[in-house]
Amino acid sequence: MYAARSYLRLRLVRRMGCLMKSNWKYYLFLLPAVLISLCIVFIPGTMTIGISMTDWNGFSQDFSFVGLDNFREIFSNRYFWVAFRNNIVWTLLFLTIPVAIGMIAAFLILERRKGRDALQTVFLIPYVLAPVVNAMLWQNIIFNPISGIIGWLKSLGYNVFSPLSNPDVALFAVAAVDIWHYWGFLTIIYFAALRQTPDEQIEAASVEGASFLQKVRYVYFPHIKPTFKLMWSMIIIFSFLAFDYVYLLTQGGPAHATEMLSTFAYSIAFQEFRLGKASAAALFMSIFGLLASFLYLKLSKKEERE
Amino acid sequence: MKKAFAVFLIVLSALSVFASGSQENAEDSGRKQVTMWFWGTADFQRDAMQKNLIDAFNASQDEYELVVEFRNSVDNDVNVAVSAGSGPDIVYGSGPSFVATLASSGKLANLDEYAEKYGWDERILKPLYDACSYQGSLYSIPGALNTLGVYYNKEVLAELGFDPPTTIEELETIMDAAMEAGLYASVTGAQGWRPTNENYTSLMLTHYAGPTNTYLALTGQKSWADQEFVDAMKKLDEWYRKGYLAGQDYFNLDFNAAAQFLVDGRSPFFIGPALVFQFIVKTATPEAAANIGFVPFPNFNDEIPYPTYTLGTVCSFSINEASQNKDAAAAVLDLMLSPEFVAGMTETWPGYWGMPISNLDEADTSALTGLSETYFNAVEDIASAIGDGHFGFFCGTFFPPSTLTRFYDIDAVWTGNETAEELMQSIDEIFATELAEGLVPPIPEPMT
Repeated sequence: MYAARSYLRLRLVRRMGCLMKSNWKYYLFLLPAVLISLCIVFIPGTMTIGISMTDWNGFSQDFSFVGLDNFREIFSNRYFWVAFRNNIVWTLLFLTIPVAIGMIAAFLILERRKGRDALQTVFLIPYVLAPVVNAMLWQNIIFNPISGIIGWLKSLGYNVFSPLSNPDVALFAVAAVDIWHYWGFLTIIYFAALRQTPDEQIEAASVEGASFLQKVRYVYFPHIKPTFKLMWSMIIIFSFLAFDYVYLLTQGGPAHATEMLSTFAYSIAFQEFRLGKASAAALFMSIFGLLASFLYLKLSKKEERE
Repeated sequence: MKKAFAVFLIVLSALSVFASGSQENAEDSGRKQVTMWFWGTADFQRDAMQKNLIDAFNASQDEYELVVEFRNSVDNDVNVAVSAGSGPDIVYGSGPSFVATLASSGKLANLDEYAEKYGWDERILKPLYDACSYQGSLYSIPGALNTLGVYYNKEVLAELGFDPPTTIEELETIMDAAMEAGLYASVTGAQGWRPTNENYTSLMLTHYAGPTNTYLALTGQKSWADQEFVDAMKKLDEWYRKGYLAGQDYFNLDFNAAAQFLVDGRSPFFIGPALVFQFIVKTATPEAAANIGFVPFPNFNDEIPYPTYTLGTVCSFSINEASQNKDAAAAVLDLMLSPEFVAGMTETWPGYWGMPISNLDEADTSALTGLSETYFNAVEDIASAIGDGHFGFFCGTFFPPSTLTRFYDIDAVWTGNETAEELMQSIDEIFATELAEGLVPPIPEPMT
């Protein structure tokens, strides 16, 4: 009996050893990703949480623990809530307008056999250009009061002003530039997903007499749904991180009309030299990205189960 | 195959070692480098720096070589590098407020020894020498004198039938007449640079609330929420709403466009800082530039002497505490504080290098013409008025960072999101905190 038990134990240990031996290589493959995440995400992220509870100015080695004071200060700042509201508006704009344009354009090029590749390339051009180039193009060609379309209309006697200078519409003007740069990318993504729809299902629907809209509703859309959800999650994450076009076109102005959480945190960090407070704002901003990520993962798991 | 690859790697490594060794030898045999980062300038400005600063310094001795890197993101680059204990030997900064933050963190070298060696305490105008100090020691030298004034287009003024204004009444009358004639009352703009707002808050603090009141508030003896300051901001709000600050285009113009409009005769005035000279030079031909004049800004209050100048600097230069070449860096700063350097730079680049030194009269100005001459004369006048104590305070030079940033929010008053009372009350609270933290630079006392 004892001998049998010893034999079984020995076999178990050997098997475990074999498993470990065969598995460690797989863990090794994960190591670079884990190390990179640790160094550039986990450690700085943890430091940001720590810094948000100090009065560090970004230079000094002397700083004090201030608890939640930084959070209290930013929550009592009226422009923080303006920035938060702007981020929400920005997210809603991006969840609808470029998605609708991208989807329509994707269906249009799906129906078109000739020139499809050229159209995709053209649609993608604004996306591959650097934000600073796009911002300069719009500023100089559209909004410039001397050389742009605005300047030209003024020279013809029309009383027009750049929307960037009007606090009521400046946020929409900046969003328009960013949407212009982004919708082509969405088109390509949706188009790639639409192309995966099996031909036989489309043909079957056609034989059954389904209209174009019915085909979209019952054949195409179920196939691109995972892509659609992924892009929505990504849009929510990116919307709360939006910075480049806002900073390049308006720097959050005029009068905070285009202030976003990112530009708010940036000005606290680099104009006021209050890194602790800026970290608190940045943390608040990150929460929404994390929420969107969790939401996406949950939806994906639900879909897998179904 | 493996052996061949191993040999290849060894040879490659050996070559790398030799290559790096030879590079070190080359550096050892050459001069040591003194480094400075500066903002991304236009070519003609870079050429002026090359001739009057880099070549002049390199020719003055044979031990060091001055290397200037031009970076569009210099402010952030300097902040990040210096805070990490690295960066250039010479630290370009935005002025005394910036210096106080870095000096209090031990990132800048104490310049007292060099001030004594080179006699900077006698050459630099005292109000700015004091402002560049922290806890009694010098930590930077001021860049060019900056002030606020009225640039005017001579032809436009003549067409409208006016002389250059010396009183507020004259200025407002001309601006009203210009608007009636379909011109801008004055041009300026904050497009792409929100700190432009502080030019106009500074203007009102000096010429409406007055230098003495501002001095008292900056030294904690008076509240920013007092009526004089609230009224000053209300006056500025009134000006904005009347269209005196480029009408509806304030947020849509930058200084390049505004300078172009002034030169083109689309406005009689550009009310702005002394560094606007450099924008006019960039946009105007020499003939067009000769059509532009400059007068001090008039006062709203008769008790303030005329001319009184808003005192500021366009930037500051310090020495990095981490620098291994502090003596050489100090020699570069000393070169910048010479009348020859000021005259040389101003010849092609007026508006940015009028250093606040007391011996400007020693400069050879025979080569200065047009705007360069106008600028040099203006700097001499400003220096003289400052010597008499007739100066106010530029927010960007004397105000601590959070207070300064809150002053930018004057645009929220203009757009009706805040009242002048709310803004000044909030500024008073923020300033009190920063004053207690020791972030306010030394404030020189004006005489009125």
